Amino acid sequence: MERLINIILLFKEYIVLVILIIVSLVLLSNNDNRQLHAIRGYTIGFVGAMQNALSVIPNVFELKRENRILRQLNVNLSDEVNRLREARLENHHLHQMLSFKEQGKLPLLPADVVGKSLHLLRNTLTIAIGEQDGVRVDMPIICETGLVGKIIATSAHYSVGQLVLNKDFRVSAKVQRSRIVGIIAWDGGETLRLKNVAKKQDIREGDVILTSEYSNIFPRDIKIGTVVRISEKTGNLFKDVDVEPNVDFFTLEQVFVVTTVPDMERVSLEKNAGHLK
Amino acid sequence: MIAREVRYGLVSLFLILLQTQVMRYLSLEGITPDILMIWIVYIALMSGQMHGIIWGFSVGVVFDLVTGNFIGLSALTKTICGFVAGYFFNENKTILTLRSYRFVIIVLIVSLVHNTIYFVIFTQGTDIGFIRAIFQFGLATALYTSTLTLLPMFRFGRKYQV
Repeated sequence: MERLINIILLFKEYIVLVILIIVSLVLLSNNDNRQLHAIRGYTIGFVGAMQNALSVIPNVFELKRENRILRQLNVNLSDEVNRLREARLENHHLHQMLSFKEQGKLPLLPADVVGKSLHLLRNTLTIAIGEQDGVRVDMPIICETGLVGKIIATSAHYSVGQLVLNKDFRVSAKVQRSRIVGIIAWDGGETLRLKNVAKKQDIREGDVILTSEYSNIFPRDIKIGTVVRISEKTGNLFKDVDVEPNVDFFTLEQVFVVTTVPDMERVSLEKNAGHLK
Repeated sequence: MIAREVRYGLVSLFLILLQTQVMRYLSLEGITPDILMIWIVYIALMSGQMHGIIWGFSVGVVFDLVTGNFIGLSALTKTICGFVAGYFFNENKTILTLRSYRFVIIVLIVSLVHNTIYFVIFTQGTDIGFIRAIFQFGLATALYTSTLTLLPMFRFGRKYQV
């Protein structure tokens, strides 16, 4: 302690000088004139240059903190990107549906898919519109990419549709290029089957299959799929034509119900003609 | 000792009044002598460096407050002046210093230091260049102030005749 006092006494002039200079500088800093602004500018520049020079030395704690913040930010941004992607896809999908609805002359009822089974032999889907919306049994179900199925049961607010991927489903179809007509059915495999195509008829892989004019239920020219494989068996009159469905049933979220009812005059006539045979 | 400090205080107040109210009449081409500088050098030579520092600061602060120009600038420069002048303090040669040209030279040196620091700060952010300011005002003021120091020097010479 005595030594400290001795040191203080020895340098008392310097200590007092430093204290009074600091007081003077504090007084100076309370001014608000351009000289002081300039000095402050130089000081900031000097401090900035020093910080810049010293910034090469990494601050571990600061880096950790910065890293944590950046990781958090990264998670937030990833989340936002995902949501934007989802919104973009939804937007794209809705655009497609809207343009499909506008292009077509068919009376359509949009519907959300609220349930579906795809791993059974009799696959169905449930949609969130029903009789109160005008849905009736046998109305076709389509989407912007093609034929989905038809309504087989309705309640007030819900309907069940029979998918193309259903063992009981049948639809009259034609080859777009060569106009050959057949019956589309599903045997439980990965693809649909175009039946009743004679061996001599012109059909090729890549041909597009549409609904034909012969159906009482389905409107004509709805895309069903594309021919992916043709095979012939000896002793069989017909070709085995595998058709890849155009609709991706696994990602199906929205569909349209075509609110047309069968032409009863035609149905009746065909029925009567059948009796005459 | 207290009486001496009181005397220093009273004389300081009087000289501040003189510097602010009267010295402008002695101004030549805008150059005004700094009698407060002479006073601080005198205190430092008479009483030592510590007194020079403290009275330099005190006179500077009061002068800043009275003029209201740039609060703290005179306090800073005059504190340093008292410190520099204190280096010339020699208890055994006080009178000898005051009655000789040594006093004038010390005032000149301290005045140059004072003006250098003063104009370094004062010219910041202005259109006046530091070199121009130090030659045009700093050097001239220092010469004028040290010339004016001849008056107390002769006064001390007559008072303390050997």
